[in-house]
Amino acid sequence: MTTTLPTPGHYDVLNAVVLKQMAVGAAVSEATGVGLDDVDAILAELAGAGLVFMAGDSALPTDGSAPALAEVAALRYAALRSDPAVLAEVDRFEDTNTQMLATMTRWQTVEVGGRQVPNDHTDPAYDEKVVARIDRLVQRLGPLLDALAAHDPRFALYRQRFDAALDAVDSGRREFVSSPTHDSVHTVWFEFHEDLLRALGRARTE
Amino acid sequence: MRYTLAFEDADPEDVDLLGGKGAGLARLVRLGLRVPPGYVVSTAACREYLASGALPDGLFDEVLARLEQLEARSGKRFGSDRDPLLVSVRSGAPVSMPGMMDTILDLGLDRRSAVAVARLTGSTAFMADLVARFHRMYAETVLGVLDVHDGADRVARDVAAGDDPDAAFAAVWAACDAAVAEETDERVPTEPVEQLRGAVEAVFRSWNTRRAKTYRDHHGIPHDLGTAVVVQAMVFGNLSADSGSGVVFTRNPATGEPLLYGEFLAASQGEDVVAGIRTPDPLPGAMPAEAFAELEATCRRLEREQGDVLDIEFTVERSRLFFLQVRRAKRTPQAAVRIAGDLLDEGVLDLAGALGAVTLDHVRQIDRPGFDPADVAAARERGDLLTTGTGACPGQVSGVLALTSERARELADAGHDVVLARPVTSPSDLDGMIASQGIVTATGGSTSHAAVVARALGTACVVGASDLDIDVAAGRVRVGDRVLAAGDPVSLDGASGEVFAGAFTRATAASATDVVRRLLTRAGPVTGCRVFARVTLPPQVEPARARGATGLVTAVDDLLAASGRLEKLVQTLMRQGRVTRAVCEELEESVVVELTPLLREAGDLEVGVRAVDFLSDDARELMQQTALLARFPELSMPVGAPDLLRAQLAAVTRAAADSGARAHLSVRHLRDPAEADALRALRAQLPGAVPVGAYLTSPRAVSHLASMVRSDELAWVEVRTVQARMFGIPARQLLTQQPLDDYVRRGLLADPRTVLDPVVDSLFAPALAAAPRSGPDDDSPALGARLSGRVSAPMVGALYRLGLRRFAVEVDEVRPALLALGQAATGG
Repeated sequence: MTTTLPTPGHYDVLNAVVLKQMAVGAAVSEATGVGLDDVDAILAELAGAGLVFMAGDSALPTDGSAPALAEVAALRYAALRSDPAVLAEVDRFEDTNTQMLATMTRWQTVEVGGRQVPNDHTDPAYDEKVVARIDRLVQRLGPLLDALAAHDPRFALYRQRFDAALDAVDSGRREFVSSPTHDSVHTVWFEFHEDLLRALGRARTE
Repeated sequence: MRYTLAFEDADPEDVDLLGGKGAGLARLVRLGLRVPPGYVVSTAACREYLASGALPDGLFDEVLARLEQLEARSGKRFGSDRDPLLVSVRSGAPVSMPGMMDTILDLGLDRRSAVAVARLTGSTAFMADLVARFHRMYAETVLGVLDVHDGADRVARDVAAGDDPDAAFAAVWAACDAAVAEETDERVPTEPVEQLRGAVEAVFRSWNTRRAKTYRDHHGIPHDLGTAVVVQAMVFGNLSADSGSGVVFTRNPATGEPLLYGEFLAASQGEDVVAGIRTPDPLPGAMPAEAFAELEATCRRLEREQGDVLDIEFTVERSRLFFLQVRRAKRTPQAAVRIAGDLLDEGVLDLAGALGAVTLDHVRQIDRPGFDPADVAAARERGDLLTTGTGACPGQVSGVLALTSERARELADAGHDVVLARPVTSPSDLDGMIASQGIVTATGGSTSHAAVVARALGTACVVGASDLDIDVAAGRVRVGDRVLAAGDPVSLDGASGEVFAGAFTRATAASATDVVRRLLTRAGPVTGCRVFARVTLPPQVEPARARGATGLVTAVDDLLAASGRLEKLVQTLMRQGRVTRAVCEELEESVVVELTPLLREAGDLEVGVRAVDFLSDDARELMQQTALLARFPELSMPVGAPDLLRAQLAAVTRAAADSGARAHLSVRHLRDPAEADALRALRAQLPGAVPVGAYLTSPRAVSHLASMVRSDELAWVEVRTVQARMFGIPARQLLTQQPLDDYVRRGLLADPRTVLDPVVDSLFAPALAAAPRSGPDDDSPALGARLSGRVSAPMVGALYRLGLRRFAVEVDEVRPALLALGQAATGG
């Protein structure tokens, strides 16, 4: 660990701030599993080091945040990056990710006479098929989350967030499929994807 | 038989017993359509299974007895080595819900029947594909295996048409089994009868999956309702050259054009079309002539009987046409409106049916403004088309270019329309995407994260614009030899994927709205309603008129705010410390200057002008409300400062005379007959003044309606504010999503934004009954309803039924309001 991010908690908190861009302590605590008091203390230290900027109760990343995370990730996840169990699952993830995004698209648009039009959600049977597929694709993430959690237990938290989003969908809250203003399946997936790329030291391609 | 019903014996209305799918198939049989034979295992069997944990005694004997009937009717045998019968098994609950078992197709394959399939179709490759598909479906839906059989699929794909069927079956089945063995000790049964038993039980079991239970809990669906099982003979479109499968819409679902629209693929199964393995041919032409004639006649008949455009799946097996599914067709908004108008013209639908077939949202989407095609053509001519990416979310927008999420947010907060361009998108771009009107990314396809987010937001988006070299650090975008800087105006078309330099003005294309006008014109005379549109600036008048507005409303505070005169007026007031002659003169001149051009543009449209409301939420900051009202407490009373009202009355009168328009002045928040009389007294002092009227916002005002308004006045009631006051909710919260969205979802309130509350209804009903009538020939109450924000069909319908015939809405809501009124007037 470098001096700027002395503990795993510092990495986790900063990582959450960078993923969310603007986050209050409670949201960071929920996403990281770090206790609220510790989150507040860590945010204060990070602010002192110029790695986050506090606007009222919200923490925002600075230009230094992402480089600091990248530097620490290289050390912290060195073993993860060369673990064949992780890498095999990562290869599978590429395919799962493609399918998930295609399935999200089917949730949002339907083809009508050769044109894509917004899904007006008046066909529950269609919607149910799509959600069932989203559910299965989330389940397929299981082995990857297990492999990652063997190096850093924090990754297991994604499962709870996915389950919470899927429960909300099943209780009729459709916005928990893909709305970016909710902790929807796609929001969690998008954050996980970014988090994974950072852990692996890979760049996003789209 | 206790637990099972053949399709032809089942009553389609008994959804509780048959489930949705079973009832649907029974309905098709009643419609006289040739449906592949089948039967339903009723929900009664499931209920017993759920109670005891085992299949009821005698159930499976019944399932097999029904199977024999299927064999007799189809001339095929289950598990036969000659002409094998394959079946599909589906779950069908009375209510569609998540977590229920999906369909299993092609059930009944073992070695002998598979070999027979290869022989009958002349293709071992087809058989191998069928076996792999069945095995996968069964493993996923019955055994709960998660992984797809990638390796097994490869084995199946390698089988050639002429291979030995016996060996091919063995190889494919073994590969599939191996894939399953990686996840579970269970196996897909090799005996067709065991496959059937496993599938039926799996349907029952799926009733109690976690997801299904969660759904029932949240929707109050009883846990003991149970699901039905549908078992149906498979028909094959790939048995011969005169076989095939297809989909047909009774009219074009994209344009509404009244021609059969569909696809047919000869010698194929439906899944081939879905999987994109082969490209189907357009109808007609590709189908056997006799089958097509039957299809065409059936489509015409069904459309008349159902009064709607239908989406029909069918298979032709050796020239015999089978109907698999008939549903109401999904359609674009344009098609929905055109179809409703055409069906009305053809006499298939009456006016109520035609208006009911269109939603307010359809009309809104057609009214959505876009670029003028002539402007776009000129931009192309000038070379302003920068690049064409992939359209990911439709919409035509212009805005200033931002290259970071932070900058997009800053520009949006400063009141700009923003187009955000990013090389790649990460979760950290979300806030900027939310703030923007348009999004462009250099990478990614139509199913990228950016595309998913944009569609969830409904924001126009182009992805994969790879010609754009976006240099975030330098604040520049390079396209070929052209360089754009952050802050430059750009435009994008989220449907075509085009990105332009420069900005376009937006308008609603006349061609798109002709069909809407045609339909709403038919509704107009029936409703007998007048719809006024809210405008502030002269250019808004023509769009309002084009949408069918027969009058306009405006507000003095909006008129003055738009030109900066409101702030100045407040400054003058504060400086002078009292309502002086100078203040009144400034107010009068300001109103004349701003209102005259609007009235001139209005021409023959009646214009309702609302006097300044110093309590208004909207102009709170501009008016420095707190300081102003502390200094001038009388301004919070509607007739508290008569001089200011007199100045506005004089101004409206002058502007009306100058422009030759008809106008009236109404005053907000009047709640007592004495206030209305005071307003009339002011008017009496000014010879030739325009009419005055009350503008009611409180329950008290409504209950005094009869003595507050007169037949020769144009009074208004602001429904949202009255409703909010009845609930004790700030009126502005009836224009936002939160906090009411969550609250309504929790079942704590019926939505006061879309539903007229019964208490408010009981306030309105006697007041409107006692109110003066609009005129000698008009028996409606002398009161108009002012609606703000989006209109809702239930709200408009309730107000119409109360007798109100005059409405005022936002310009964009004129057509939705006319439609809602048409629906209400025709009893929809």
